[in-house]
Amino acid sequence: MTGDTMTIDDRDRSPLTCMTRRQMLILGGSAVTVLASVPLGGALAQKAVPGTADLVQSRYKPRRIATLRDIKAKTPIPFTYPVDDVRNFLVKLGERAGAGVGPDDDIVAFNTVCPHMGGPLEPESYKPEHNVVGPCLLHLSTFDLTKHGMVVSGHASDTLPQIALEVREDSVFAIGVMGLIYGYARNPVSA
Amino acid sequence: MVEQIQPFEVISVPLPPKDAEVLTTACAYCTVACGYKVYRWPVGKEGGPKADQNALGIDFPTGGAMLPWISPSQHNIARHNGKPHHVVVLPDFDAKVVNPGGNHSIRGGTLAQKIYNPARPTRDRLVYPMVRVAGVLQPVSWDLATEVMAEVSKHVLAKYGEHAWGMKTYSYEYFENTYAISKLVNTSIGTPVYAPHDKPQNAEDAAGLDDAGVNSFAASYEDWGACDVAFLSGVDPYETKTILFTEWMMKGDQPDKKMIFVTPHRTMGVAYGQQNGGLWLPIIPGADTVLHLALARIIIENNWQDQEFIDNWVANQWDVESGYGRGTRNTRWQWRTTWGTFQSDWNDYRKFIMAEESAKLENAVRITGLPADLIRKAAELIAKPKPNGSRPKTSFMLEKGNYWSNNYMNSASLGALGLICGAGNRPGRVISRGGGHQRGGMGAGFSKGWLSPEKYPGRRKKALNVDRWVMDGNVRFMWVIGCTWFAAMLASQELQSRVHELVRGNPHQPRNVNKTHLVDTYKKRVDAGGMVLVDSDIYPVDPLNTQIADIVLPAAGWGEVDFTRCNSERRLRLYSAFNDPPGEAKPDWWAIAKFAQKMGFAGYDWKSSNDVFEESSRFSRGGVLSYHVLVTEAKREGRKAHELLRTLGTTGIQTPIRLVDGKLVGTKRLHDPSNKRGDIEGATVDQRWLYAFGTPSGRAVLLKTPWKFSGWIDFYEAVKPRKEKGEIWITNGRVNETWQSGFDDLRKPHLSKRWPWPWIVIHPDDAKPKGIESGDLVQGYNDEVFVQTGAPIGVLEKDLTFTELRKNGHIKVTSGQFVAVAIVSDEIRPGVAIASFNYPGAPANSLCHAVPDPVTGNYRYKLGRGVLSKVGASVYRTLLTEMSLKPRPII
Repeated sequence: MTGDTMTIDDRDRSPLTCMTRRQMLILGGSAVTVLASVPLGGALAQKAVPGTADLVQSRYKPRRIATLRDIKAKTPIPFTYPVDDVRNFLVKLGERAGAGVGPDDDIVAFNTVCPHMGGPLEPESYKPEHNVVGPCLLHLSTFDLTKHGMVVSGHASDTLPQIALEVREDSVFAIGVMGLIYGYARNPVSA
Repeated sequence: MVEQIQPFEVISVPLPPKDAEVLTTACAYCTVACGYKVYRWPVGKEGGPKADQNALGIDFPTGGAMLPWISPSQHNIARHNGKPHHVVVLPDFDAKVVNPGGNHSIRGGTLAQKIYNPARPTRDRLVYPMVRVAGVLQPVSWDLATEVMAEVSKHVLAKYGEHAWGMKTYSYEYFENTYAISKLVNTSIGTPVYAPHDKPQNAEDAAGLDDAGVNSFAASYEDWGACDVAFLSGVDPYETKTILFTEWMMKGDQPDKKMIFVTPHRTMGVAYGQQNGGLWLPIIPGADTVLHLALARIIIENNWQDQEFIDNWVANQWDVESGYGRGTRNTRWQWRTTWGTFQSDWNDYRKFIMAEESAKLENAVRITGLPADLIRKAAELIAKPKPNGSRPKTSFMLEKGNYWSNNYMNSASLGALGLICGAGNRPGRVISRGGGHQRGGMGAGFSKGWLSPEKYPGRRKKALNVDRWVMDGNVRFMWVIGCTWFAAMLASQELQSRVHELVRGNPHQPRNVNKTHLVDTYKKRVDAGGMVLVDSDIYPVDPLNTQIADIVLPAAGWGEVDFTRCNSERRLRLYSAFNDPPGEAKPDWWAIAKFAQKMGFAGYDWKSSNDVFEESSRFSRGGVLSYHVLVTEAKREGRKAHELLRTLGTTGIQTPIRLVDGKLVGTKRLHDPSNKRGDIEGATVDQRWLYAFGTPSGRAVLLKTPWKFSGWIDFYEAVKPRKEKGEIWITNGRVNETWQSGFDDLRKPHLSKRWPWPWIVIHPDDAKPKGIESGDLVQGYNDEVFVQTGAPIGVLEKDLTFTELRKNGHIKVTSGQFVAVAIVSDEIRPGVAIASFNYPGAPANSLCHAVPDPVTGNYRYKLGRGVLSKVGASVYRTLLTEMSLKPRPII
């Protein structure tokens, strides 16, 4: 088994069943703290929780995206992460959002490829009135940026991958990817 | 400083190894039935990211759109032969039909999450037969459950007759199961007390179309791709037939087609249609007939009708009257089409349209609530010849917004409108239902509908209304298979309360599972006027089997048994078994056989699903779903019919299947004259509706639908929202991301997060005065829900009109309510709210009236009304993980 997820039942190693970092972030900050405090690389990670060894090896590296003062409401900022050919955009929604950062918890970032069949969801398709991205040109899917990229109307069998952000001092950093990026069997990590 | 180490997991999906087994199937859900492939391999190995290391034969990352890809929702762990296996369920990227290139909906895209997995939400599958003891279900053996059922059934049949033994089942859940059910109901028990899941009676869905001679599923998907104009009545195929829309209507041979949507709800497909030169006609619920009449009048006034087609293909009076012999003309379609009220031909229809008050534009504007120029524009689009004299190729689709609001008249008037525009039997010019469920119904010989006591005045035959028959206390033993019953029918809470009273409200309740005790208790109950209720399903269904049913049987379904069925272009495929059913769960045909054997009935010794399929084929022979030729050819080749069908993979073959030059040939389109062939070969059955319309003359019948028809107009007036009470229309419908009653969806993490609760879309004009905002819990309440009681037989002409029924004490006034989460959006017509249909826990149908269309026996499901009130804020106003409250048509 080469699972990357914190699967606790090896009969089922799909990302949906286990408490993933994505789910922890989604469920709230305290859970994140708990996970962050797990002694990674220790005996627990190696043996008691199958998959955590890989988790340690496949960590994402943070990348600085923008300074807070350069982020204007409703104005997307394109960036790549975690590797150069994965395109995303960051946007300040003006309303509280799932995994939103910044003083108003409203700065989020998402991948630009539709997880239905790979159509483009470029920043230009962001709808500031609704804080939705789309519709995808291929089959009209739309995604709710306030609710972790949930499908509003459409066909993707998973949410639009969200780029996890953190604010440190005056800058916003990308620190991970929540959800599998279209076209990948395993999310890429920066070298 | 940012820490250098971030403990984010890297999400991945396991790739099928090169040697993974690949099986074909089709989607379990909507009528389109996209082709899927199932990759299965034992837990313990995985494929690699290189094309030569995985069964998809592609490098990962794939680096492009529209290529095979596995999303996390498309993988699960299943048991196969008792051992854990990886299962990946992917749309068939090699498909050339239905979903070319692997297009798929969110429903089909999450099929893998339907698989039984004790570590997942599907852990609540029913796994043992159970009997309710002191209110709680207790596991028992199949033998005990079916022996008790048989003993009680024998008692009921001997003492009360076949009219006291009823069944309510899906109409679509595979030919093998429906054939077995039909054999039991029609042949062995011989009861008329049967209704499919979506109707209170066993009769036509869109009877006006059938009576016109147009089969409801005459079209092929490519017709919806090839038309210049699509007139879509009471349907947005984007929402409920997704791939028909995104693959065929948005593309197809005519990608620039104009779409006209007639629906009060501006959903995503409607918005796309408007953006591409089409129209949105936000009609007042129930008024479609008037729109159709007004459109016909504009067309006739301007001489835009397709006269050549009418001259060739529309029945004249002699055609309508011919072919009946000296029969009584009491069969449903016979009495309706040769009865003065509806019967017509071109000249008579034209006169009717010009004389009909409601067809005048100014009247139509008032009744439909649509602006005159919108109606005029729609008439131009569907019928106005181009400057060069050529006609637009227009196709007409209808679905539940049409025939579930004014059953007979809406479908009949749409049929007539389509016919005068030259549609019905040509490429890109079709009249068809869009479809709801797939088509997996197969009858075993004649149904016992002739035992129905119901009659329209004039001794005209009608099917029996099972809901009313039960509520009136006529049924002592009832078996429900694979449907919710109450929430899908009308005045849901009243029906549910009455069934609860007959079953649980009776003093005779079992206290142990001793067979003699159970049989004695149930016999005492039925003798005391109560009812014994059996329910077969794959899940707990609230309240049907969780709170009420006496005996609950666990079913095995999609992916657990080899099954067959057709989609809405009549395409037959094998739905392969690829994992073990949980526990003691068995296919319904097996449960039927087990019960029938306990009853002592012969002919139920099937060993496999294929045995049932092969036996059923001769009953399919003369029908539009005929697969008899496939079975006879398989037998000739010495192979099983299921195995021959398996070789056709996700392509399958369109029924009726014919033998032409020794080869199996499918039928793309019904009624199409190009289907006419010379000699009939082998087991092929010649049917005129293959190359002409389905009437005695082969010509289609125009039907008149006077708006003030007494079987409609007083009911409509009685159920309109009452302004003095502050009521609005509260209709119901479905959206893309949930399928039907949410049975699998609520067990799929991705979908249950999207729609954890039922929704109601309310216009800001209706929400604001009540202080309702998006995310609020809102109650819909109707304090006057009509339920028809008794009076199955009409004797005098007006006996079954609403006014007369009410005067004679056959209309009971009840009430109904439900609570849903508000989405406040101008996507809905003001004065109309739309709530999710048949959603667990929130029966929007409770507000709708269980008074059937007297002409057809079908309900007017969409005509709910009530007062909206705010209950409070739902958690979804603040919870950022569940239920998006954004409007649908963002484009």
